[in-house]
Amino acid sequence: MWPLRWSIVWVIFNREVRDQLRDRRTLFMIFVLPILLYPLLGMGLVQFAASFEQKPRTVILVGAESLPDTPPLLNKDRTGFDPSLFDTPLEASRLIVALGDRKSSWGDPQTREIGLRGRQADLVVLIPESLKTNLETERVRPPLFYDSADEKSQNTYLRVREVLSRWNETIVAGRLKRDDKPESYTEPILPKAEDVAAPGQVGGSVWAKLFPFVLVMMSLTGAFYPAVDLCAGEKERGTMETLLISPASRGEIVMGKFFTVVLASIMTAVLNIISMGLTGWQLAGQLGMRGGGSGGARMAMGLASPSFVSTFWMLVILVPLSCFFSAICLALAVLAKSMKEGQYYMTPLYMVALPLIFLTLMPGIEINLFYSLVPITGVSLLLRSLIQGHYDVAWTFFIPVLLPTIVYGILALRWAVDQFKREDVLFRESERFELGLWIRHVLRDKGPLPSGGQALLCFVLMLTSAWFITQALGTSLDSLTLMAAGQAGFILAPPVLMSLLLTSSPRRTLRLTWPSGRYLALGIGLAITLNPLVRELGSYVDWLFPTSEAVKTILGGMMAKADNLWLALVLFAVIPAICEEFAFRGYILSGLETAYSRWSAILLSSLLFGFLHVLLSLFQQLFNATLLGIVLGLLAVRSKSILPGIVFHVMTNGLAVLLGSLGTSALAGYLFRPGSDGLFRAPILVVGAVASVGMLYQLWQTGSESDASFESKDSFRELVGTEGQG
Amino acid sequence: MIHVERLSKSFLDYRRGWVPAVDEVSFDCQPGSVYGLLGPNGAGKTTTLRVLSTVLRPTSGRALVAGYDVETQPEKVRANIGYMSASTGIYDRMSAWELVEYFGLLYRMPPEHLKARMETVFDWLQMNDFRDVLGGKMSTGMKQKVSIARTIVHDPPVLIFDEPTSGLDIMVARVVLQKIAELRDLGKTILFSTHHMHEVEKLCSRVAIIFKGRVQAEGEPAALLEEFGQPDLEELFFHLVERADLNKTPANQLD
Repeated sequence: MWPLRWSIVWVIFNREVRDQLRDRRTLFMIFVLPILLYPLLGMGLVQFAASFEQKPRTVILVGAESLPDTPPLLNKDRTGFDPSLFDTPLEASRLIVALGDRKSSWGDPQTREIGLRGRQADLVVLIPESLKTNLETERVRPPLFYDSADEKSQNTYLRVREVLSRWNETIVAGRLKRDDKPESYTEPILPKAEDVAAPGQVGGSVWAKLFPFVLVMMSLTGAFYPAVDLCAGEKERGTMETLLISPASRGEIVMGKFFTVVLASIMTAVLNIISMGLTGWQLAGQLGMRGGGSGGARMAMGLASPSFVSTFWMLVILVPLSCFFSAICLALAVLAKSMKEGQYYMTPLYMVALPLIFLTLMPGIEINLFYSLVPITGVSLLLRSLIQGHYDVAWTFFIPVLLPTIVYGILALRWAVDQFKREDVLFRESERFELGLWIRHVLRDKGPLPSGGQALLCFVLMLTSAWFITQALGTSLDSLTLMAAGQAGFILAPPVLMSLLLTSSPRRTLRLTWPSGRYLALGIGLAITLNPLVRELGSYVDWLFPTSEAVKTILGGMMAKADNLWLALVLFAVIPAICEEFAFRGYILSGLETAYSRWSAILLSSLLFGFLHVLLSLFQQLFNATLLGIVLGLLAVRSKSILPGIVFHVMTNGLAVLLGSLGTSALAGYLFRPGSDGLFRAPILVVGAVASVGMLYQLWQTGSESDASFESKDSFRELVGTEGQG
Repeated sequence: MIHVERLSKSFLDYRRGWVPAVDEVSFDCQPGSVYGLLGPNGAGKTTTLRVLSTVLRPTSGRALVAGYDVETQPEKVRANIGYMSASTGIYDRMSAWELVEYFGLLYRMPPEHLKARMETVFDWLQMNDFRDVLGGKMSTGMKQKVSIARTIVHDPPVLIFDEPTSGLDIMVARVVLQKIAELRDLGKTILFSTHHMHEVEKLCSRVAIIFKGRVQAEGEPAALLEEFGQPDLEELFFHLVERADLNKTPANQLD
């Protein structure tokens, strides 16, 4: 595939863009929809707000004759409340008062209820007869009748309550004046709100929620439709085969299409944002002019557009996100035989993408190094910080978000190219699908090693069963036997079962061979020499992302339960090591090796290994687990056996338990730096590092030069293995 | 110019496991002649041609096209063939001229040369009156002409036609066959698959009759009739099919 001839990529890109520009649906989705949608939404919002605010509400006041003369509750005409009880005359005019007689239907409890439910009035105030006489001596509680099931009535209730509370204040103020007491007499404490948010940040509050959501959604939507048209549509119209027979390579075809989709995705997102921004700006102006309540002004400020700087950086981060989406959409779209089938893939895609975006709407979710690694979520959170004007946070996480997004984009693009190389994907005939037949096919036509897809399925299966098993065990994590059983159940069982059922050579899949002694020695040696470095890294990570005290207590409790050192070693070293090695260096690595190059397979398997630790225990372990996963993967690939890895793994975990149990003994003082929490002294660290490098180099070298001789031995072993099974 | 040697291609099928669609097929095509692949639908003709055009990889066997190996030099092969089938679609939102130009550019033809070549091709196929008509608005005859123009724009030495006349009305089919004959007379190596006997009689100097993925008989049409003692190609064809069925050696049960 490589190197690409860019002139051909350009020719394809050129054609695809021209083709999309001639497609009415694409033009509508990209250009027309955003230009029309947001102004319409804005108009609707303004109209809705206006109609909602301006409609006057009717209040029936029963027993007006019992009201005191001063201070007045009603205006002079007795058609509304006194204007002094409102901020503006406009607000006063929105409550109309009609007087009712005690003898009338509004005085009678039953008919009053019917009247309110029939929406003949929004609220009824009943002034008690005793009010005028008793006001000086006791607290009067005039009942307000309203229907909380009706929003208008509910709103009227809130407004009238505010009016009555102001009337109450006026009465109190009059009494204070009469008795010559200061205002603080009745209200010694009066909180005063001081908002320190900068104007830009207030502007961000509404935007910060909407903006990342729309931007991410639209860059996905903008990528999806062209991708389906460019792949499934081309298959459906019968032009795909012609293109494949042209001298353009698969890589060139994918890149040409990819750039087209990226362009569409970015255009859609940018136009949506521009249209949304202009509408918001317009809306802010309108609401600001209306003035009126403080709500309008606050809303106007909330809708003010984000600053130029943040907009610029948002566009920068949008590009890799669009690339990521475009590549994913292309890879999915090429699976589809027709446009219609392509549309079916949209639901699962959105089902995965939406929760990752919605996560950013949840309160309390702030960007950190972990979220920055999560696809989509990292970008959305970064966008939010940029809009809120938290530039310091944004700068800190700009690279941690940008780099993984680029990496995900490249991986997705590779996937798309791989899809374009698969005959069964490109020339898929519609085949009747029957579950029974398919299962028989899977069991019958199995290869000696699992496929890459099966390896990933195994990982997903492990996570899913982990979820159900931990749920079933409930909070009984304190039971150590259950913990061990759980590990065997969700880490060991899936790979072992899958290799027995789905491969013809489980022995080769799980690397169940006796390794040469040197690899066992390397496993033991590396576990010892790497340990000081591992502890150093662990403490550095812990300093960067401190473990919460609560988690520490739980972990400490678990360790303390295994009071017997041997029990602790079995539980925390031997069992996890065996389970995880079978899964990650056995089934998963074997499967990945069939699908990818050796190094990609090792890297990917150690990343999965790291993610398992994130999901099942602490995300701080991601770094350690991933790095050790690479060493373990190298051991497994070079020795072609699972045993050196198990030995390394048992020793690494075991050393953690053993060194942890040293406490403040003399040996600890001899090994560790004083004052540090279990960190080795510098000379030990240096010796360990040098020895590790030496051994890793050995491991690297020995395997690669003797690959050929191993190959023949391996095939012999395979023969023996299959015979033994047959 | 096309050399096929014991070529096989198997597909994985949920129902039957690995199924050979093409089983040990061998033949040779020479420049200036049309080689016919005759067989019913599903016989393995299209699969053979797809392997020769490098979009499918052979399971075993070897094939040289225009002197290049389809497995090791697929780019070279693709640059030297023109491939056309009846199901070949053309882009709805591109004009005839644009489409042919697009493929010329993909073959990396220099612009001036491409333009001159396109003028020649458009004249030869009498396509000048619908140069700027979009694909979506073309009649079947126009579309077929555009497909032919697209197939030969880079003047390849080898041409592969996969049932180029299936589903066409007789007027259009006649034009297509005429043009193939003219291309043959220009010295092209032409591989032509069909299930119409009379097309073989008209065009092909040699023919391979394919059924169930295997070549049942191969040679010059007249010699084949003599060898099997059949009056015409149609009878020969049915005779071979019946014989293959009687032998109960369908390709997928061999080996």
